[in-house]
This record gives sequence, C-alpha cells and structure tokens, in this order.
Amino acid sequence: MASVAFSRVEKSFGHTKVLHGISLEIADGEFMVLVGPSGCGKSTLLRMLAGLEEISGGEIAIDGRVVNDLDSKDRDIAMVFQSYALYPHMTVAENMGFSLRLRNDSKARIEDRVAHAARILNLGHFLKRYPRELSGGQRQRVAMGRAIVRDPKVFLFDEPLSNLDAKLRVAMRAEIKALHQRLKTTTVYVTHDQVEAMTMADRIAVMNDGRIEQLGRPLELYDRPANLFVAQFIGSPAMNVFDGVYRNGAVEALGARWPCNARANEGQSVKYGIRPVHFDLAFDQTAGIETEVVVVEPMGAETELVVRIGDQSLTVVTHGRSSAGPGDKLSLAPSAKHAHLFDAASGLRL
Amino acid sequence: MTNRKLLEEARLWLIGIPVLLWTLIPIYHIFLFSISTKDSAFSGRLWPEHPTLRNFGTVFKQEHFYLHNFWNQIWNSLWIAVAVGAITLAIATGAAFAISRLKVRGGRTVMNAALFTYFIPAAFLAVPMYKAMGNYGLLNSRWSLVLAMVTIASPYAIWVLKQASDKLPWELDEAARIDGATPLQLFRLVYLPLMVPSLVAIFTYALLLAWNEYLYAFLLLSHENTIPLAVGLGHFLASDDSPWEILMATALIYGMPPAAIYYAFRRYMVGGLTAGAVKA
Amino acid sequence: MHTLRAGSAWQTWGAILIAPYVFVFIGFVIYPVSYGLWLARNPESYQTLFEDPVFFPTVVNTIVFLLVAVNLKFVLALFLSGFFVHERRWIRWLSVIFIIPWAVPAIPTIFSIRFMLNPEWGVVNSLIFRLTGLDGPNWLTNPMLAMAMAVVVHIWKALPFWTLILVAGRLAIPRELYEAASVDGASRWQKFKYVTWPSLKTLYLTSTLLSLIWTLGDFNSVYLLTGGQPADKTHVLATLGIRYIRLDQLDHAMATIVVALPFVLPLVYFMMKRLSGDEQKTS
Repeated sequence: MASVAFSRVEKSFGHTKVLHGISLEIADGEFMVLVGPSGCGKSTLLRMLAGLEEISGGEIAIDGRVVNDLDSKDRDIAMVFQSYALYPHMTVAENMGFSLRLRNDSKARIEDRVAHAARILNLGHFLKRYPRELSGGQRQRVAMGRAIVRDPKVFLFDEPLSNLDAKLRVAMRAEIKALHQRLKTTTVYVTHDQVEAMTMADRIAVMNDGRIEQLGRPLELYDRPANLFVAQFIGSPAMNVFDGVYRNGAVEALGARWPCNARANEGQSVKYGIRPVHFDLAFDQTAGIETEVVVVEPMGAETELVVRIGDQSLTVVTHGRSSAGPGDKLSLAPSAKHAHLFDAASGLRL
Repeated sequence: MTNRKLLEEARLWLIGIPVLLWTLIPIYHIFLFSISTKDSAFSGRLWPEHPTLRNFGTVFKQEHFYLHNFWNQIWNSLWIAVAVGAITLAIATGAAFAISRLKVRGGRTVMNAALFTYFIPAAFLAVPMYKAMGNYGLLNSRWSLVLAMVTIASPYAIWVLKQASDKLPWELDEAARIDGATPLQLFRLVYLPLMVPSLVAIFTYALLLAWNEYLYAFLLLSHENTIPLAVGLGHFLASDDSPWEILMATALIYGMPPAAIYYAFRRYMVGGLTAGAVKA
Repeated sequence: MHTLRAGSAWQTWGAILIAPYVFVFIGFVIYPVSYGLWLARNPESYQTLFEDPVFFPTVVNTIVFLLVAVNLKFVLALFLSGFFVHERRWIRWLSVIFIIPWAVPAIPTIFSIRFMLNPEWGVVNSLIFRLTGLDGPNWLTNPMLAMAMAVVVHIWKALPFWTLILVAGRLAIPRELYEAASVDGASRWQKFKYVTWPSLKTLYLTSTLLSLIWTLGDFNSVYLLTGGQPADKTHVLATLGIRYIRLDQLDHAMATIVVALPFVLPLVYFMMKRLSGDEQKTS
C-alpha cells in the first residue's frame, strides 16, 4: 500500500507529444480511475507507471520514492492486462505463482500464497487447469490472482473488462470493487467506459488529448463538470448541449427561452447544457418548450425519447412508460437548477 | 453418388493417379534395383525374377571395394547432420529471440543479411567457401562441412523462428517483466516452451539439409575418414562397371532416414516451413 | 506500443544472443565472398573464360534450362495446387507421398532416374523396345535430350515444394469469395480468373522469381544426371564453376559465378525488398 505521485509527467513518441505535463496525486489505498477516449494518453500514463514505457519528462514516485530509473520488477507493482496475458503453457497455479518462482521462493510459500489468492477469487477448482480451458471471466480472475499473489504496493488495471461481454462486465465490476474494499491496495484503473469509472472510482481523472480535464469524485464530475468535454463525456445518455445567448436571466436558444440558475454576462454567447433526466414533460402546449417526438425507446423502467426542435435533436429520459409516439408534440420544462452554462468560446463552466 | 459427383471424383482420380505414378516411379526403381541380382537388374524387368536381400547384406558387411568404409561414412553423415541441426537450432533461436523479442539494435540489419544469404543459391557460395575453408585450414575436417551447412541453414531458420516469434502476444513479455523476469528467465521459462513446434521444425530442416547435401560435402571433404555417405555414393560413378544394384541398395539405405523423419514430423514441417514462405 | 524499455541488461543479452550468428556470418559469408570477389578481380580471367569453347554453349543451356524448367514447373504447380486443396482423405495421403522427391536426398533419386534412362539397359528403353520393337532414343548422350531430362529431373524434385506454397496461398483465400461467385453464377474457369488468380498472383510471381534464383544454382540436377557430359555439352553455370575447380582454375570458377551476378543480384535485391516491405506492414 502506498501513494503514487505524478509530477509534470510528459511523454513523446518521436516528435509527437502525447502527454503534456500531467500532475496527479493518488492517496494510499485510493481507487483512482483514469478515463477518457481512445488516444487520450491514459494507457500510456499507466504503462509509464508500470515501467513499460520510458518517461520523457517529469517524475513518477511510488511511496515517496522516485521510480523513473527503476526497472518494472523493482517497483513492487502488479498489472492486470486487457488481454489477461496469462502464460498459455502454465497451469492456473503456475501462472499465479510465477513471480514468486522467479525469486526462488520456497515451494511451500508459493503454494500458500497461491491458495490464499485462489480462495479470495474463488479459483480453487481451477488451479490445475490451463488458460485455454477457462472462460473469459475466469481468465480475468486468474490475471487478478497473479497480481494479488505479488502483494504489491500498487495494482494497475489496463482496461481489464473490455474483452468481456456486457453482463460479465457488470459482475466483474462488482468483484473488483469488493476486492479493493477487502485488500485496500492503492489501485490505478484505466478504462474508456465512463460507467465503470463512475461506479468504481474513489476519484476520477478525465483525460483528453494528453491532459487532465478534471479531477474529482464521481458525483462532483457529474454535478459540476468543469468544461464541455467532461460534461459530455460523463453521464449516459450524454448531456444535451446547444448554442444560445444569455439575456435577462435565461438563455435564448432554438427560438425559446431556457431557464437556468447559473449566471453569465448579458448578451454573452453560451452553450446551454442539460442532462436528459432533468426535464419535466407535459403534453399540452400551455407551458414549456415545444418539441416534436422523433424516436421512442422504451427501456422498461425508463423511456428514452429523441425529440426535435428546429434543427436540433435532444435526448430526454423519463421514468416509467410514456404514451408519446413519433410525430407527437411534447412540451419540455427543463429544470433550472440542473442547467449548466459554458462559455461558447472556451468551453469552461460559468 | 450423383452423376455430377461421380464425374468430379473421376476427374480427381484422373489427376491423382498420374501424380502418384510420376512421384513413385523413380523411388520404386531404386527399390527394384536394390532387391535384384546383377543380371536381372539390367534386364529391364519390372519385378526381379529372384528378388533378393543379398545386396543389403553386401552393404552391411562392407563386402565390396566401394563399400569398405560404409559404416564410417554413415557415421560421418549422422554426426554431421546432428551437429548441423543442433548448432543451427542454438544459433537461430538466440538470434530470433534477440531480433524479435529483445528488439536488439541492428536486428533488422542482421535479418536482412541473413535473408541475403538465403536467397543467393548455395552453389554460388560453394566456390568461395571451398577456398575460405582452405585458408582456415579446415578442409578435410568434418567441421568445415558442419560450419558451411550451419551458414546455409541458419538464415531460413532465423526467418521462420522470427515469424513464429512475432506471433506471440507482447503482453506475455510485459507480464513476465512485471513479474520480475530477467532476460534469461524470459527466454527459458516463457519463450522457449511456446516455440517448441517451430524449434522442432527447424532442427529437422537443418538435419535433413545436412544429411542430403552433396555439393559441399564432396568439395570440402575428400579424406577417406571424413567423407559422408553422400560422397561415398558419388564414388560409385567413377568406373563404368560398378555394381549398380549394390549402389542402389546403399542409396536406399541412405534415403530412408530422411523419408522416415519427414514422415514422422510431417505436421510440423509443412506448417512450420510454409509459414515463413507464404509471406512472400 | 511494442517498445520494451531498453534496460541495459536487456540490450546486453540481445547482443549476446545474436552474436553467434554474426560471427558465423562474418566468418563464412563475408570472408569467403570478399575473398572470392578478390580472386575474380583479374579481367583476363573473363577474357579467357569467354574464349573457352565450353562457355557460350553453357550459357545457352543455362538460359534454356532456367526458362523452361521454372515456367513449366510453376504452371504445373498452379494446376496441382488446385488439385491438392480438395478435401479428401486419399488426396491428403497423396500429398504426403508427393513431397517425397523433395524430402529425400538427390543422389539416390537422380541416380535412379539416370539408370532408368540408360540407353542400353535402362527400363525406359527396355519398355520401348518391348512395346514397339524400336530402339529408344539416347536420352543422356544426345545433348538436347539430356538437357530436357535435366529439366524433368529438376521439376520432379522441386515441384512438390512450390506446389505446397501455392496450396497454402490458395487456402488463404476466404471461402466466402467462392460462395459469392457461385451465387453470382460463375463457372469453374471464371472462379479461377476472378477469385483465385487475383489473390494468388503476387505469390505466384514472387515465387517464380525466387525459383529463378534457386534454379540458377541447381547443381544436382545436371551434375548427377550427366556430369556435364557428353563432351562438356550439358553444363550449366553452376556445374561449370565446379568443373573449373576440378581443373584447378579457381579464377575461372569465380569468374563463372561473377558472370551470373548481374542477373542474380537484382532478383535478390527485389526479393529482399518484398520481404522487408511485408515486414513493415505487419509490425
């Protein structure tokens, strides 16, 4: 268990700079998720922490000790790969015990630690099997078992659930979270899936184009996104965003007045953001903003509607069933306290 | 079977049977001669009047002028073939690992140099090699043939091993490094076990190449004690009235190990060796 | 993403593991080749070489041998590869037998063919005599026939390897393409023309080029069949070089090889470009 600190970390591949001075501190025992779209640099950052990539600039420290020049094996970390990376010619037990075998640990000790990890992950029955005989979820657990046996200072996860089907992903999310609660090891977890980030993280670092867009607890990011990118990245379905002008305490956009509690300068060009769940609906046109229903997607407990106003499509999510059909007129009452305003030029929150 | 299928089968048989005959006739001919007596061998018959195994006896008991070193020659062939197989395997495996997994500096250059040697016909290298071995003082030592064959077999071996090696997932190396493996541990405990089929194919390839070799053998080795069986067989041609039926018996013995080995390892060979070539 | 951190231990081991091959290469390729080229430096050797009455017929033999052997071999390989892709048990067995000429040593088999073709007591002429009462031709003593037989021997030995290569090439073509063509109403010939050949074309051409280089170096087929005889009329460049060694004329031996280089080297260069080009694509 240890803290991790990135200080102005930079990375270049040839002439291309992919990480621009990342600074991040992860507390002892914290579950930190690095999330962002493909190519944002999150995996690269993780691999630099693991010692699999050279550090072009800045420092990385584990437990207060700078590890820039340390080889992977001396950093006391364990990593779970997206493709599991299990040694195909070794049994599950041999896979999990491999690192100890490399250090010439006694057979008894290896067996002991492997059994311990197998108990935690429910792998006891598979110890003598080979990876090719296991399902995806089982292989992922073996990969985690291999990491646990090491008893490292930091766990690194590189998109471990991407290769699993949706249902399995949900189950494994819970397992990883439970594991963290039990072992309390500092964890750095990389994913492109914001649902994973929201459900598992103590804190999230949203990354884009080699920079951290926002760092904070999941609900902070959800309730108060610092900029347009975070606002549209976090939350599913994505936040509705469109252009408008702030006048007289509301935003004029799409031929209507949109309420908001946030303030801007009179006449300022803004981007108005509101999440699909923050609308009240009415079918009569007396109050609210008139839109036309395009698509209705009943999800069972909720209904997702795509509505149109002018040239703009908006997504609306409502609880329960909806009697709306394509072509119907729908009146929207956006919730002022949940409306977000962003500067049209910079994308920053106002 | 429907008429169309029957026609299709007939078509295939029409191709298959000539192919079978074409392939086996010279082989059968060797066999035919080896079990014939001296007279019936030259009678042009398709099956000897009195098939006999006496020729083989003559060979094994070294009972003829050209045969008096038979066992020595077969031993030389074996010794050289195994040495070439083992040394090629060792050199090529190390080189392929260094180039493919360790990404050693200059690896591409070495690979290109090796490819160059592979494409140049061996017969062209024979003359300079003969002279070079002379300068090294190795002529008439079995090592000259061993080293020459290793030089010729290694390029293809490295190429095939590199291709097979490139197919192994990178995460394995990374996981092993994080687990704490040194380069040697990675090579021994992760890489080699996963490369076994290719290693077998390469060993067999180099072994057969050396056993079957004639040109380099007769250029580099002429001393009675060092010549392999291939060269010994060539000596039979020196005079016009050599006992051809005994030659064929010896030739049959000489040709059987490669046929047997090839048959035993056919699955490895076909897969392992065409893998490298299809890329072209 | 495939870069491993270049820790010093890793680079050191890389150098250690590649060193043996590098030594072999320097000692047994670079040194002999340099020395050989040095031996061939005297322009007079070439003059006397061209004046040797054996030389030009040999060049002619070599060119004819190359063109006929390689092209015939590849047309056959293309045809037979189509045969061997059929999935039948007996065809699979046949393919195992078919490889034997390539897998077994040249001496037994080429000698065997040599004896079969012996004009006096070989089985071929005996059979001809028994069937027609005529004397069969002088297979190995008539230079043109002898060269033709050398082509046959070469094809017998080399065909299986190239057939296998083309079979692998055919197997790489997705079955759906043929199924789509069937649905579109293509005949067998059209399937070959529009599905098989476009996919196989590159492999076919590259293999042909490689085979040209290797066939140029085919020593065994001629040497073991005729030894270059009668009267040195059936030599090819590969056997001619060795003949000069036998005559202790090393400079002529090397000159013979150097003469072939303007043809061989561009082909080798081309082959290497192709293979490294593919490397770049897949890495």
